[in-house]
Amino acid sequence: MEITMVRRGSITVIAIAGSIDGMTASSLVTSFREQVSGGNIRIVSDFTAVDYTSSAGLRALLETVKETRQQGGDLRLAAVQPEVLRVLELSGFTHILKLFPDVEAAVASFPA
Amino acid sequence: MKREIGLEARPENLKAIRDFIEESCRGAGVNRSDAHDLKVAVDEACSNIVEHGYKGRRGPFPLGVVFEADEKKVAVAVTDRGSPFDPAQAPEPDLEAHWQDRPIGGLGWHLIRRLVDEVLYESAEESGNRLTLIKRRSSPEKTN
Repeated sequence: MEITMVRRGSITVIAIAGSIDGMTASSLVTSFREQVSGGNIRIVSDFTAVDYTSSAGLRALLETVKETRQQGGDLRLAAVQPEVLRVLELSGFTHILKLFPDVEAAVASFPA
Repeated sequence: MKREIGLEARPENLKAIRDFIEESCRGAGVNRSDAHDLKVAVDEACSNIVEHGYKGRRGPFPLGVVFEADEKKVAVAVTDRGSPFDPAQAPEPDLEAHWQDRPIGGLGWHLIRRLVDEVLYESAEESGNRLTLIKRRSSPEKTN
């Protein structure tokens, strides 16, 4: 799994590529925590290239949604692929997370 | 068709287990949607063993996966020699809860139950633990 970060104004776009599982999720958690502890609480995670997630990925997402929202921010997902979407749906995460078709839409969804 | 793989219960082996399930499904002509569901369910079961099964124990940490398919169903047995855990003990999460009330974690067994049709568990001192996940095959036309 690879993680790349880009700042877009007040928003941090975290692009993930590869599979999120019990091995790789910890580096994702670390990246999210670094952003939140640095005060970057408006996060878009680009899921275009995420081909797989287990519940380990869900833990990372829920922790970050909670942390960012409690500080007035949010974690929003962009371009979630069908198999990953299925796992999110089965876990009730599509009610929790705001999902967007692409990064542009997710970035634009945050108030200026 | 029957195939099996044996490894150590370590996080770095989870991908090899998923690859094994994917290859086995391809070999047995299981459609992509069913293959994905099985892959997640087996990954969750193995992740539980990696994370909890051998806690406080000395190695080796054997983890076995046996894949068996016929024209109606696929059965995957996951075996280990760690602490027993009966999946009937795993509580169902409240999926309707507000985000603030959702606990972090506790979704692995829920996903397993949703992704396969049957979950069988047996544990014995001599033979260790065996979790069998059974998925009925959907029609080959069905895709994601």
